[in-house]
Amino acid sequence: MDRIVAQVLVESAVKIALFFFVILTAVAYMTLVERRVSAWIQDRLGPNRVGPFGLLQPLADGIKFLFKEEITPPHVYRPVYLLAPLLIFVPALVTFSVIPIGPAVELHGHRVRLQIADVDNGVLVILALSAMGVYGVALAGWSSNSKYSLMGGLRSSAQLISYELAMGLSIVGVLMAAGSLRLNDIVERQAEHGWNILWQLPGFLIFLTAAFAETNRLPFDLPEAEAELVAGYHTEYSGLRFSMFYMAEYVNMITASALATTLYCGGYHVPGLHLLGLPPLAAALVQVLAFCLKVGFFLFVYVWVRWTLPRFRYDQLMNLGWKMLLPAALLHVMWVSFIVLMDWS
Amino acid sequence: MPVPLLVELIFVLVIFAVVQAYAPERTLLAGTVLGAGAAALLAVNYQALLSLEFWVGLIGFVAILSALLVVIHPNPMVSILFLIVNLFCIALFYLILQAQFLAAIQIIIYAGAIMVLFVFVVMLLNLKAEVGLRLTAAPQRWGAILLGTAFVALLFHAIRGRLDEAYIEAGMFDSAFGAARGLGGLLFSKYLFAFEAASLLLIAAMIGAVVLAKRKVR
Repeated sequence: MDRIVAQVLVESAVKIALFFFVILTAVAYMTLVERRVSAWIQDRLGPNRVGPFGLLQPLADGIKFLFKEEITPPHVYRPVYLLAPLLIFVPALVTFSVIPIGPAVELHGHRVRLQIADVDNGVLVILALSAMGVYGVALAGWSSNSKYSLMGGLRSSAQLISYELAMGLSIVGVLMAAGSLRLNDIVERQAEHGWNILWQLPGFLIFLTAAFAETNRLPFDLPEAEAELVAGYHTEYSGLRFSMFYMAEYVNMITASALATTLYCGGYHVPGLHLLGLPPLAAALVQVLAFCLKVGFFLFVYVWVRWTLPRFRYDQLMNLGWKMLLPAALLHVMWVSFIVLMDWS
Repeated sequence: MPVPLLVELIFVLVIFAVVQAYAPERTLLAGTVLGAGAAALLAVNYQALLSLEFWVGLIGFVAILSALLVVIHPNPMVSILFLIVNLFCIALFYLILQAQFLAAIQIIIYAGAIMVLFVFVVMLLNLKAEVGLRLTAAPQRWGAILLGTAFVALLFHAIRGRLDEAYIEAGMFDSAFGAARGLGGLLFSKYLFAFEAASLLLIAAMIGAVVLAKRKVR
C-alpha cells in the first residue's frame, strides 16, 4: 500500500513540476508570439532587439516585472486585494491537469499517462474550475475600491456568467457523442469515428466564441476596455501582482485552446499514424507534438482575431450571448441528440 | 494517531488566533513559527495523512470554521468568500463518499453560479452602511438565540444514536456509485416524477421572476 502511494505521489509530483514549467514557459513565449504576430499583421517589426529574433524578450520582461515596485493603494480592502490575483491564476493553471496531451506510454515497465489526473468527470472539473476564475476578476474589481475597477469587475462577472452557459451547452454535444465525461474517452472516440469538428461545426463555433469571451480576449475584452475603463479590474494592480493577471490570461488562452483541441479536433490523435508502424514511444512523441501544434494553431487564431475584429459594445455582447449563442447551442444539442439517437454518426 | 494530529493542528490555529487578537503587529512572525510547527507535526505524523479519519476531521473543521465566519464576519463580501469555502468543503465530503458527479455539480452550480450572483449583488450595493452592522435590537437577538438553540437541539436529537450508521469507510461504495451514469439512470427512471416536478417548479419560479421584473417596466 505504502509503496503504491509513494509511487503515485512521486509520479504526480514529477508530472506537475513538468507541466508547471512547460506551461509557464509557453506563457512567456506566447507574450512574445503575440507581439511579433501583432506586428506582422500590422506590417511592423515588433520586439526583435533582445537576443536573436527577440527570443530573450520574455526573460527581460519577467525580470522587469520582478523588480518593479509593488504599490498597494491605501484605499483597497487588503485581504481580498491580495487574494484576487491568486484566485484567477491558480484555477487557470489547475485546469490543465485533467487534459490529456498524449496517449499512455510504457516507461521501464510502468504505464504512464501523459496527463496529471485522469478524472472520470474531467469535463465537469474543467467547467467547475473555469467558473472559479470569475471570482478573481470580480473580487479584484471590488476590493480595489475604485470606480474603473468596479465597473470592470461587474462587466466581467456578467460576461463570464452569460458565456459559461453557452460554453457548457456547446460541450454537451461532444459528451453525448462520446457517452462519457472523461476526456480520454472523448479523444479515443474521435480517433475511431472521426473528429467532432467534422459533424459538430456549429457546436465548435459556439464553443470557440464562448472561449474567447471566457478568456476576456478581444473582441470580448470589455472588462478592461482601456478606452473607457483605464484597465478595468486590474487598474490598481502593479508589479508582480499585475503580472499574475497578465499571465493568467495567457494560461487561460492555452487551456481554452487545449480544450478546443481535445473536444473537437481529436486531441492528440493523428489520422493515419498507425499506418507508419512507428515504435510506441516514437508514436507517442509524434502525438504529443501534434497536440502542441493544434494548440499552437488555436493560440495563433486568438492573436489573429484580436487584430481582425473590433471590440463589441456591452449591449451587443449581451445580445450575442443570450439571444444568439444560447438558443443556437440549445438547437445544436437537439440536433446532436437526434443524430446520436438515430445512430448516424 | 489521526485524531490527536487534528487536535494538535487545531491547537496551533487557536494559538495563532490568540496572537492575532492580542498582538496584531506580530502576526507575520507568529504565522511563520506556527506554520513551521504545523509542518513539523505533519512531517512527524505523516502516516495520519493517509487515513480517511484525518481528512474527514480536517474538512469538517474547516467547514464549521468557515460557516461560523460567514455569520460572524462584519464584511458581507468576506462572508460570501467563506460561504464559498464552506461549499467546497461539502463538495469534498461528496468526493469522500464517492459521489464525484455530485461534487463537481456542487462546485459548478453553488460555488460557481449562485455565489457569483451573490458577489454580483454585493458589488452593486453600497457597503459603507452595511459594514460593521451589528444586531442590537433585543427581541431579535433573543429570538435568534432561542430558535438557534432549538435547531441545535433538533439536530442532536436527529443524530443521537445514529452515529454508527453515518460512519463511512474507504471502499464502502464502489467508484461507479456516484458517476454520472448511475445518477442519471436513477433520475430518469426511479425518480423521474420528482425530477420533472422539480424542473416544473423551477420554470414556474423563473417565469414568475420575469413577470414581476417586467411589470414595472410597462
